Amino acid sequence: MHREDGLLVQRFDKLLIANRGEIAMRILRAAHELGIRTVAVYSDADRNSPHVRFADEAYHIGPPPARESYLVIEKIIDVARRAGAGAIHPGYGFLAEREAFAQACVDAGIVFVGPPARAIAVMGDKLMARSTVLAADVPVVPGTEPGLSDADMAAAAIKMGFPVLVKAAAGGGGKGMRPVHRAEDLTGAFESARREAKAAFGDDTVYIEKMITESRHIEIQLLADAHGNTIYLGERECSLQRRHQKLIEEAPSFVVDPDLRRRMGEVAVAAARAVDYVNAGTIEFLVDRDKNFYFLEMNTRVQVEHPVTELVTGVDIVQEQLRIARGRRLRLRQEDVQIKGWAIECRINAEDPYNNYLPSTGTITSVQLPNGPGVRIDTGVFEGNEISPYYDSMISKLICYGETRAEAVLRMRRALEEYRIMGVKTNIPFHQQMLQRHRFMSGQFDTKFVEERFSMDERGAPYALEAALLATLAAHTQTQEAAQLVAPGARDTSNWKWLSRWERLRR
Amino acid sequence: MVKPLGALAALNEVKMKYIATVRDQEFTIDIDTDGRIQINGEPYEVDYRRLPSGGVTSLLMNHRSLAAVVEERINHWEVLIEGELYSVQVQDERAYRLSRLRLSGLGVDGEASVSSPMPGIIVAVRVSEGQAVRQGDKVIILESMKMENELRAPCDGIVTHIHVSAGANVDKDQVLIVISQDHETQGEE
Repeated sequence: MHREDGLLVQRFDKLLIANRGEIAMRILRAAHELGIRTVAVYSDADRNSPHVRFADEAYHIGPPPARESYLVIEKIIDVARRAGAGAIHPGYGFLAEREAFAQACVDAGIVFVGPPARAIAVMGDKLMARSTVLAADVPVVPGTEPGLSDADMAAAAIKMGFPVLVKAAAGGGGKGMRPVHRAEDLTGAFESARREAKAAFGDDTVYIEKMITESRHIEIQLLADAHGNTIYLGERECSLQRRHQKLIEEAPSFVVDPDLRRRMGEVAVAAARAVDYVNAGTIEFLVDRDKNFYFLEMNTRVQVEHPVTELVTGVDIVQEQLRIARGRRLRLRQEDVQIKGWAIECRINAEDPYNNYLPSTGTITSVQLPNGPGVRIDTGVFEGNEISPYYDSMISKLICYGETRAEAVLRMRRALEEYRIMGVKTNIPFHQQMLQRHRFMSGQFDTKFVEERFSMDERGAPYALEAALLATLAAHTQTQEAAQLVAPGARDTSNWKWLSRWERLRR
Repeated sequence: MVKPLGALAALNEVKMKYIATVRDQEFTIDIDTDGRIQINGEPYEVDYRRLPSGGVTSLLMNHRSLAAVVEERINHWEVLIEGELYSVQVQDERAYRLSRLRLSGLGVDGEASVSSPMPGIIVAVRVSEGQAVRQGDKVIILESMKMENELRAPCDGIVTHIHVSAGANVDKDQVLIVISQDHETQGEE
């Protein structure tokens, strides 16, 4: 069925997954559980990746750099046609939030497992998103229109109260952004923000936004079917981040009570309705000390941290995405959604927390994943896997569930200890240390906590002696083995036979 | 009571002394012919197995049980225990002594070298081959980053080789002069 807004929803039996890594695995599993056949795509760097083996069919789409493979819309559409796939799931990243890709799918008569192209376009544009949700009475961070005179901006700043942020209209990544704490500093901030914005974006338009200090990043998960039903699945606490990269997420949030959850949920639903949203989506909010919340942006895709919501609601979000894309109605009404227990996710990245989180590349030489009650791991890595500079550094997501937050934390500590991966450095020690901090345990953190008030404890080396012993024993054994291997003829059996006898002797 | 280390005990080797370095801590580890182990002179009851699956090593140390992954790298070993990765340098006694000597500027066979600590130009060579030098004597003047640097002899000995002359461009760590400590050997050649 084609809706008025061009969105195509209809039954399909074969799904192409336009992604790689853990999210490709996640989608493959959901599809197989629903009896949908699957098509993987892979670059030269991913021929050995598990998503290729887990799929029913796999097609090569080019060299390792994403812009020559996973980001090439024509190649993906072409594979879908050749394989006879009725739908494409974009995952997150890559083409997931490209309006042109959603449109290209529809134009090719293929179901795009996601929202209408127009919703992606509106929510992808900061200023358009802001004005659209404002019209639906969604609270946004107070601010001015872009392009006002300095005098008008100064008057607005004084009215909304300091501190404020001077921001570039064309901005992103903190460029052309200036915090201002006093009225007399405004003129200088306008000048330097304009200079930087002009240099970075070729556009020196600036505007003013109220600066929310000690804020948390809390987001609401939504599901919307193509028949006008939209529900919220509670919140996720995502304040623990570094350079805008989330590191630990949990559901529910320490600071959200049932009343706040309902209010944030209803506002999130209103924001989604403002763009006739369909499928899974997330509204990100900034929540201040006084629990005022402000719309930040909408992510028009499945998110990395969706599993914590799945664990506390019992809803399989990726399966729901596929059902919605097939044109089915939501099976849940809002009153059916109950939050039960607590879930925490640690993103395991190939980076060195002891060396300024420098990305670590290399070949995974061994992996043993944690296991046991309440532990879920979403991963796409394997032994022999090369962690290349082409794709992001996330190796896997470790998600733990408990009846209470404390139980989930204890379980996560246990699972982090069990997680064994060699060949690259990982941020597991970061998670271990964070999960021991009082501020984490008492839920007292904001979006600046990791960057401004957390540093790794480098003295922590509880097993230095044991490590020294193990390495020495390994080196000793190796030397002894080498000494026993003699030249051919000097022993009556071959060295190989002798070695295997020796190995038996050791057991 | 020390339990013999099963696998190692089967091999009648001589007692070995190792020095393992982890995060600036040094451990002296003795393994005797029966596989008995002492760490920094203290005896430990140790049983360890490399399990056939997944590269896991099981260590029982005075009955305390630990699981680890131990892998060899080019110049060190990596040991993963409970999420923390330890980089360990293992040297037997001889290698340890030699590396100590090297750190103090002394070489493998009684030879010491003077190397360039940074790229630069040789301004002057203050010694000639066959000349006796005392530790601390100025042997080379190196100009680098517009500064003159005096390079000194790391030990007493005889200058056996001079690889550079005034005006030469040198790289970092390039060997400039070799000094032999062993007068007897030098005389026989």
